[in-house]
Amino acid sequence: MAASMKSVLAENVREKVSSSKILVVGAGGIGCELLKNLVLTGFVDIETIDLDTIDVSNLNRQFLFRKEHVGKSKAQVAKESALRFNPDAKIIAYHDSVMSTDYGIEFFQKFDVVMNALDNRAARNHVNRMCLAADRPLIESGTAGYLGQVTVIKKGVTECYECIPKPRQKTFPGCTIRNTPSEPIHCVVWAKHLFNQLFGEEDPDQDVSPDTADPELTAEAGQTALESEAKENVTGGIERKSTKSWAQDIDYNPEKLFHKMFRDDIKYLLSMSALWKKRRPPIPLDWNDLPNTVDGVEVQDTIRDQTQWSIQQCADVFAKSLNNLKQDLAKQGDDGMLVWDKDDDAAMDFVASAANIRAHIFGIAVKTRFDIKSMAGNIIPAIATTNAIIAGLIVMEGLKILSGNLEQCKAVYLNRQPNPRKKLLVPCALDKPNPKCYVCAPKHEVNVIINTKKMTVKQLEEKVLKVGLGMVAPDVIIDGRGTILISSEEGETEENNDKLLSDFGIQNMTILQCDDFLQNYNLNVIVVHRDKLEDDQEYVIVGDVSELQAKIEAETNDKTTEENTNGASNEPGPSNIEIEEDDLMIIDNEEIEQITYSKKRKIDDDIEGTPTAKKMRLSSDNVKNDDDDAVIIE
Amino acid sequence: MVEQAVITEDEAALYDRQIRLWGLDAQRRLRASKVLLIGLRGLGAEVAKNIVLSGVKSVTLLDDTVVSEEDSCSNFLVAREDVGKNRAQCSLDRTQLLNPMVEVTADTDSVDSKPDDFFTKFDVVCALCCKPTVLVRINKICSENKIKFFCGDVFGYYGYMFSDLGFHEYAEEVQKKTQTSTTTTTDADGEPASKKSKTEEFETVVVKNSAKFCCLGEALDVDWKIPANSKKLKRTPSTYFIMKVLNQFMEQESRRPAVNTSTEDSSLLCKLKSEVLDKSGVTSDIIDDEFTQKCFAELSPVCAIVGGVLGQEIIKAVSHKDPPHNNFFFYNGVEGSGLVDKIGS
Repeated sequence: MAASMKSVLAENVREKVSSSKILVVGAGGIGCELLKNLVLTGFVDIETIDLDTIDVSNLNRQFLFRKEHVGKSKAQVAKESALRFNPDAKIIAYHDSVMSTDYGIEFFQKFDVVMNALDNRAARNHVNRMCLAADRPLIESGTAGYLGQVTVIKKGVTECYECIPKPRQKTFPGCTIRNTPSEPIHCVVWAKHLFNQLFGEEDPDQDVSPDTADPELTAEAGQTALESEAKENVTGGIERKSTKSWAQDIDYNPEKLFHKMFRDDIKYLLSMSALWKKRRPPIPLDWNDLPNTVDGVEVQDTIRDQTQWSIQQCADVFAKSLNNLKQDLAKQGDDGMLVWDKDDDAAMDFVASAANIRAHIFGIAVKTRFDIKSMAGNIIPAIATTNAIIAGLIVMEGLKILSGNLEQCKAVYLNRQPNPRKKLLVPCALDKPNPKCYVCAPKHEVNVIINTKKMTVKQLEEKVLKVGLGMVAPDVIIDGRGTILISSEEGETEENNDKLLSDFGIQNMTILQCDDFLQNYNLNVIVVHRDKLEDDQEYVIVGDVSELQAKIEAETNDKTTEENTNGASNEPGPSNIEIEEDDLMIIDNEEIEQITYSKKRKIDDDIEGTPTAKKMRLSSDNVKNDDDDAVIIE
Repeated sequence: MVEQAVITEDEAALYDRQIRLWGLDAQRRLRASKVLLIGLRGLGAEVAKNIVLSGVKSVTLLDDTVVSEEDSCSNFLVAREDVGKNRAQCSLDRTQLLNPMVEVTADTDSVDSKPDDFFTKFDVVCALCCKPTVLVRINKICSENKIKFFCGDVFGYYGYMFSDLGFHEYAEEVQKKTQTSTTTTTDADGEPASKKSKTEEFETVVVKNSAKFCCLGEALDVDWKIPANSKKLKRTPSTYFIMKVLNQFMEQESRRPAVNTSTEDSSLLCKLKSEVLDKSGVTSDIIDDEFTQKCFAELSPVCAIVGGVLGQEIIKAVSHKDPPHNNFFFYNGVEGSGLVDKIGS
C-alpha cells in the first residue's frame, strides 16, 4: 500500500496523513463513509465516538453495519468493519456521548483534526466550543436528503459554528394546538402531547384540553367557559387531578378516553362560540357510531404504513395501542413513565390514530401512518450517495489542513442541480469570525429576554443555558453580588431550582456570569425582563445589543405590524437564535446527518474571474433536532 | 415505462429513509432493475455500494483484471490478501453483505469477449475504467436497445462520469405558488391578524419532463475550432481535457497510468497532452502539466465523490425521478471543483 500511496499523495502530505491523529465524532451516515475514506487514504490513527446503537432503518446507508449488528454500538461495529479495509489502522471506538465530561479539553488536544459527522445541534455546538477551547481545526458537515455541506472551522481564522444564529424552528401557539388546529401537524403535536399526558412525564406546557385563556376569547366568553368547567367536575375538570391519574383510575378504558378527548372536550370547545365564527366548527364523535369509509381511491399493493385508515379503523388502533401502552407502563412499576418513540409500534400507532381522529373532527385532511411518522418523528430522509459525497469532501478539506494550506479551505455545498455556473459542488470562501459572536469573540455577552417573575432557576438552567446557549454544566453567579445561583456541583444549589429569578432580585439588566468548566467557556447573560413574550415563547436570545434596540422599537410600534412580523418568525433572522426545545411541541430524537445552511453564501470567484459575493439561498429552513426538539422541515 | 416490483414490509423497513425521499414508486422501479457494473476498482466499489444499498433487483460485477496493490487505497470490496486474484470474484462477498435482498453475481470474463446480446439483458450498464473504444461500443449497443448507459473513471485527484440515457422521461417535483389569499383585511371580530391564512403558499406538484442525451463518441469528438463550440470553450470544465488525455493514454497503451511506472507515464502524458489538445483544436495552455503528477491510482475521497454522483444518477435513471445530469460530471480534487456540463449536442 505504501507503494501505491506514494504517487497518489505528495510526499509531505503522505507523511502528515500517516502521522496525524483524527477524531471522527459520530459513526452514523456520514461517519461510516468517513471512516472508510480515512483508512483507505492512509490514516492510521483514528478515534471515533458515538452513543447510538444500530437500527434497521440505518442499514440503507450506514454500510459498515449489517442486520446482525442491529442493537449494537455504532462506534464499535464501525471500527471493526473499517479495520477490515486497512488492517494497519488503529481505531479507538467510544460508545459514549461526546458531551460527557470524560472528553475534556485535553482529550480534544490530542487530535490534529476533528471531523464532525453529527446529527444534532447540541453536540455540534459543544464540539465547536471544545475545538475552540483546544484550538484544534474542526471540519463540520451535514446532509439532508440530496443536499449536503462541509465547512472548516479554525479559531480566530474562520467563523465558528455559532457565529451565525441558526434559523429557529417553527412552533405553534398553545391555543392552536389545544383549541383551533387547522393543519395535520397541529393534530400530530396534540396527539404527542396526549401521549405524554397519559403515559409520560407531567408537563403543564403540554396540556391537551381546551384552553380557556385563548386570546381570541373575550374576557367574558372565557369566564363563561370557566364557570361551566367548574360544573363539569366529572370529566371537564379532570386536569385538576392530572390526566394520567384519571386515566389510571379508569384503567385506560378506550371508550371513556375516546369520549373525553373526542366528544366531551370537543363539545366544550364548541361552547366557546367566538372561536367558530369564522372557522368550521369541530364535530364531536361518538365511539359507537364512527365512519368506516376512506375518501378517495383505494391504493392497491402499497405498504402497510401507506394505507389510509378509516375513522373506525383509527378508533380500533387507538384502543389496541392504549391497551399495549397500558401494559408497557405497568411494567415500569409505580411512578413509571413511557417516553414516546416513533420506532415503538404502540406509541406510533397511538399518535397516528389519535392525530387522525382529531383531524377528522376538525375537518383537516387525515394522513397515513407513514406520513404521520415523518411529522411526529421529524424524520429527515437520508441516502447513501449524499453521505458518500460529503464524507469525500471532508477528507479533501482535511488533506488541505494537514498540508498546511488552511487558507485554501472552503465551505462546500452539494446542490441538487448544478447552478448557472455549472457547479454541482459549490465552494465558498470561509467567512471571518463574527466579532459579536457570543461564543468565539473575545468578549462573550448575550441578551436574553425572559419573564423573571415566571421563570424558575431550573428553567433558566435547562432551557436557556443548556438548550438555548449550548452549555453542558453551567455555574452561574449574579454579577455584582456574588450570589451563586446555579452550581455544577451536584446538589449544591438544588434548593434554588424551583424559585423564581425575581426571588433572587434578578430583574431587567441584571447580568448573570455563566461559566462552563468543561467547555472552558464564560458568558455574561444580560437579562432583559418582559412581562409577556411574543408567541408565548419562554425566552428569546438576542446576540447583539443593537438588534435588541431594534427589537424593542419594533415591539413598541403598531401592534398589527408586530403580529405580522410574528407570522413570519420562522424566517431565519439575526434576532432569532434558535430555540431548540420549546413549550409547544415535542418531537423525539431522530437521527439526521444535517446542518443548517446559513442565510448567506459567498460564491467563489468563478473561472472567468468575475468577482462575486452574490448572496444566494439554495435551501433551506431546515433545522436539526435533538432530544425533545421541535422541528419542521420547510 | 419500467417494470415495477412489489415492496415487502421488510423492504419498507430497510428502505424507509430513502422511500421518504424519493417515494414508493421510485423504490418499486429500483427494485425491478438489473444493473451491469464493469470495472471493480475504487470507483467501482463506490458505485457498487451505492446501488446495492439502494435496493435494485440485481447487480452483475464484470471484471477480468486482478487485484493489485493499488486497490488497497480505494477498493474496500477486496481484501489485502486478494492481490493477484480476479477483481469481480473477490468483490462478490463484501458486495453481497451490503444488502442480502439484492442478487449479486460476479463475471470474470473480459468485456471484449462479451457478445452484443450479453448487454441487452440489463436495464443499466455502467462501464468504469475502460478505454474509449470499449466504451463507445457498449454505448452503441445500449443506445440501440434503450438501455441506460453510464461510464466513468477516477485517476488520482481527478474523476468524471458520463451518461447517455437516450430520450429520457422523468417525473419532477416542482414548487408551485398557490394564491390562497382568503384574507379578510379588516377585522371587526377581534380575530388576530396572525391567525389568518398566509397570502402565498407553495405547493409541491409532480410534473412530467424529458431530456435528450447524446452518445459518448459525439461528446468526445467535439471539434473546438468550430465557432459554435469554441465560444463555449471558456466555460467548459478543463477536467474534460484532462480526461481526454488520460483516455488517449489508455487507448494507446492498453493500460492505465500506473504507480510503479509513474515517471515514464508522466512524460508520456505530457506528450499526449499536446497531441490530444492539438487534435481537439484547443491550445495547450487550457490545462497545465500538474495533472501528469497527480493522476496515479485512485484517491479514495475522489472515488467517494464521483461514485456518489454516479450512483445517484443511476438511481435517478432507473426510477425515472428527478432531472438527470446531462451529460458529464467532472470532479477535480486539485481545484476542488465539481461541475456538470453538457458536451456534444
